[in-house]
Amino acid sequence: MPSYETFVMGVLAILGLVSMVAAILAILERDLVKAVIFSAIQSTAYAFMYYLLMAPDIALVYIPVAIGLYPAVVLFLIKKTERYEGD
Amino acid sequence: MDVLNNVLIVIGEIMVAVGAVADLIASTGMNRFPNFFVRLHAATVGTIWGAFVPLIGASLISIGADFLGPYRYFAAGGAVVTAVLVLILAPAGSHALARAAHRSRAARVFPKVVDHLEEDRGGSDA
Amino acid sequence: MGAEEQVTMFIMAVFPIYMAAFILYAVRAVKGPTIPDMVLAIDAMTFDLAAFLVVLSIFFKSPILIPVAIVLALWIYALDIYVAKYLEAREMGE
Repeated sequence: MPSYETFVMGVLAILGLVSMVAAILAILERDLVKAVIFSAIQSTAYAFMYYLLMAPDIALVYIPVAIGLYPAVVLFLIKKTERYEGD
Repeated sequence: MDVLNNVLIVIGEIMVAVGAVADLIASTGMNRFPNFFVRLHAATVGTIWGAFVPLIGASLISIGADFLGPYRYFAAGGAVVTAVLVLILAPAGSHALARAAHRSRAARVFPKVVDHLEEDRGGSDA
Repeated sequence: MGAEEQVTMFIMAVFPIYMAAFILYAVRAVKGPTIPDMVLAIDAMTFDLAAFLVVLSIFFKSPILIPVAIVLALWIYALDIYVAKYLEAREMGE
């Protein structure tokens, strides 16, 4: 029977891979709204990682900033300027 | 008292298992369905059957679990509050998203028979 | 077999099903052709993640981890509303 730490380490490895893929796609994407949503995927994976590392106080601060306020501010900024990155 | 705790734990485990299976079905449907407005159905299965039901089951488990210590009623109350929030917020959010997607033509209704809402709005075939 | 061992074994058995569902949701969220598809996939994934966090707090035997699930379920709704407002009215805030 696999132990307790094996599960936590395996899930941390999967979440690290998912967040790395999302971050790379957010950097390479030309449509800035899609880039904001990719960074929201990365933020969700990081929130789950903070939870698994037993840091609920850090997760309680990280979730409103990285999932709530940051996409709102960046979407407001994209609407004021332009949506597609210049070529 | 011990029998009642065991009954609560078994009912909660059944509800969590139903939620896990519904999650798997909903995520498969999210990958297999053809367009956005059909995927809304998979999202509803994933949030009501996949999040509301296991949250109620988790609260039943944590009421019945003696090994969690005196804080288990805190866990049960938090799970019920989260369940009510999911029950209110998930349909409201997906409805707002679907309305915005249809009005702004961000998602096309591609394999379609007829779209009366689009005709009422004046656009013929956008 | 005591109740503690039974609950722990059950959550370990249900663990891979939830992880497979999260990976399938993440695949749709990464490759979704339009923006509402991606937002809908990440929305459903996060509500399921909130349910799974409550189940995991029973597994870890630390009920103090519960408020993370409430905050996660509240703020992902805010992401929905922001994107819907951006798509529809091109006019956000009030």
